[in-house]
Amino acid sequence: MRRLIAIACLLFVVGGRLARTQVAALPARADSVKFAVIGDSGNGGSTQYEIGARMAEVRTSFPFDLVIMLGDNLYGRQDPQDFVTKFERPYALLLGAGVLFYASLGNHDRPTNRAYARFNMGGERYYTYVKKNVRFFALDSNQMDPRQLAWIDKALKESSDDWKICYFHHPLYSDGGRHGSEVELRVALEPLFVKYGVNVVFSGHDHIYERIKPQKGITYFVNGSSGELRKGDVHPTAMTAAYFDQDQAFSLVEIVRDELFFEARSRTGRTVDSGVIHRPGRGES
Amino acid sequence: MTGRQATAHAHISHAHAHVAHPRAHRRRSIARLMRIVLDRYFLLPIGAAIALVWANTASESYFMFAQRFDFVVNEIGMAFLFALLTQEVLEAVMPGGALHSWRRWSMPIVAAAGGVAGAAIVYLAYVNWQYETALIPAWPIACAIDAVAAYYVLKTIMPRSGALPFALLLAIVTDIFGSIIVAPLHPILETRVGGAALMTTALLLAALMRTLRIRAFWPYLLVCGSISWVAFYWEGVHPAFALVPIVPFLPHEPRKLDVFADPPDDDAVHHAEHAWHRVVQVVVFLFALVNAGVSLRGYDTGSWAMLAAELAGRPLGMLIAVGLAIAAGLHLPRHIGWRELLVIAFATSSGFLIALFFATGLFAAGPMLAQIKIGVLGSAFGAVLAFGAAWALRVGRFAS
Repeated sequence: MRRLIAIACLLFVVGGRLARTQVAALPARADSVKFAVIGDSGNGGSTQYEIGARMAEVRTSFPFDLVIMLGDNLYGRQDPQDFVTKFERPYALLLGAGVLFYASLGNHDRPTNRAYARFNMGGERYYTYVKKNVRFFALDSNQMDPRQLAWIDKALKESSDDWKICYFHHPLYSDGGRHGSEVELRVALEPLFVKYGVNVVFSGHDHIYERIKPQKGITYFVNGSSGELRKGDVHPTAMTAAYFDQDQAFSLVEIVRDELFFEARSRTGRTVDSGVIHRPGRGES
Repeated sequence: MTGRQATAHAHISHAHAHVAHPRAHRRRSIARLMRIVLDRYFLLPIGAAIALVWANTASESYFMFAQRFDFVVNEIGMAFLFALLTQEVLEAVMPGGALHSWRRWSMPIVAAAGGVAGAAIVYLAYVNWQYETALIPAWPIACAIDAVAAYYVLKTIMPRSGALPFALLLAIVTDIFGSIIVAPLHPILETRVGGAALMTTALLLAALMRTLRIRAFWPYLLVCGSISWVAFYWEGVHPAFALVPIVPFLPHEPRKLDVFADPPDDDAVHHAEHAWHRVVQVVVFLFALVNAGVSLRGYDTGSWAMLAAELAGRPLGMLIAVGLAIAAGLHLPRHIGWRELLVIAFATSSGFLIALFFATGLFAAGPMLAQIKIGVLGSAFGAVLAFGAAWALRVGRFAS
């Protein structure tokens, strides 16, 4: 028994150190744009609370001040009390530290949730905001209506920011077994993303973590396992760059000038994927 | 020609005759098959089947195709279908038409109201139970009835009974109700002022043409219809309904109970409708091809809600409403009892063409529309239920 306890303590200490060491893989520069990514999170279960605690823990060494939410921010009933148990409590430490959450809507979210102040959607289904040299575009992929398409076309066209990051619920590329790629959406959105030089796209919906090899110059992430999880659901294909489907996960991103550093973390704090994306300079493709 | 040559020639001719005969027979069979396919709107399920296979095997090329032709088919082409359906209904309800007697309408209206209520209640209960309130606006889709499919299913089961006019009236009332709900909710880019003035111009022009006794259809449809189409579009109303207000000005001849069939070529009006019917067949095929393709992995709450509403909610609501009406003193048409009514309820449970149209009218492309489409396509199973019920209850052709 003592041996078991000793081994557990050792694993805890080593695991903790490992986690802290791995944060160093992200440069954590003072002047960079840092943010976290969660998707399909709002089930109010213990896994969501654990992810919330892990994110708060990571923030001590990687001080991100922004979290993007990839939809299905609340599952099931969505009364005022549910916003407390499925959002405010799991992320209480982050919210208390002034971290801002910017949500996009998933298929399980009530459309009226866009008016919830702490989702920072300004009452809109789709919206854009800028952080230093990075412009974010949050879309509502439930319905790609002509007005939204016209809006994203105009917003991307007008953006002269170094980095253009789009996020929404349904993935244009995914090797998830339950849903997979949303090809109808891809046909509508991808030409605009390519035309206006979108660099990275984040989505959820499939309850897995996956990074897709760059498609037409754009890197796609699926991060739909920050609360829900469909264990073993990834069926890797030629487009799979990395994946993790054994536990819940969230991502950390840091943008330093022309480089985007990313790291995906499991519920236990293990780094399951990491890397750097270089932004092509002017004239490069 | 020598005697031997003549004999040989005769042999060859005989052989030709033997070869030509099966060919002619095959040609006749193909022509007959084509006529059945065209007359009975079979191009719709054929188009839907092609679309489903295409969308699930070469999805990117399918959705690029669908996106390219979506506007032309759904917003322009479908206007000809709704115009023809309006024309056929007007001809069926005019003096001398099969559905003229207003006494026939009371019970189908009750059944339609019950069906709409049943479908809507089950649909809304299901999506609320699943907390997926984003799907609530789709409830009118659950109410749609594919009148053409119901007509042919019942025509096959009970060809010479009161079931056909009953089901037709029920479907017509239901779909008029659904169209009124769906038409103004169509998501378009932007509305413009001036639509009302254009609409007035279109109607005045149509009235003038009628006064001038213009008998051809196309001037009405192409000139007045085009103006009306722009008016609808500018006002934000689904332009596929743009020809409907123009149709009452067209020449009409009463119709027997051959609504939705290629009309008999017995007068000038029906002769023109014959050509119109062919155009609409092409439109229906393209509509199915452009809209029925959906990734089968896209099923979700909306699919189950739609299926439950159409296959259980509507028949149940219909039967309850008719039961209440009978208790209140109304009567069922002659030769229709509860067994026949159950078969009618299942035959009218599928929304297919009309529900697909309502779905594309209410929702823009995306996963939400996809899950609803899957439910709508699945509701075609209602035809199987109708045949099953007829067989089990010994109704119509299964009576003996």
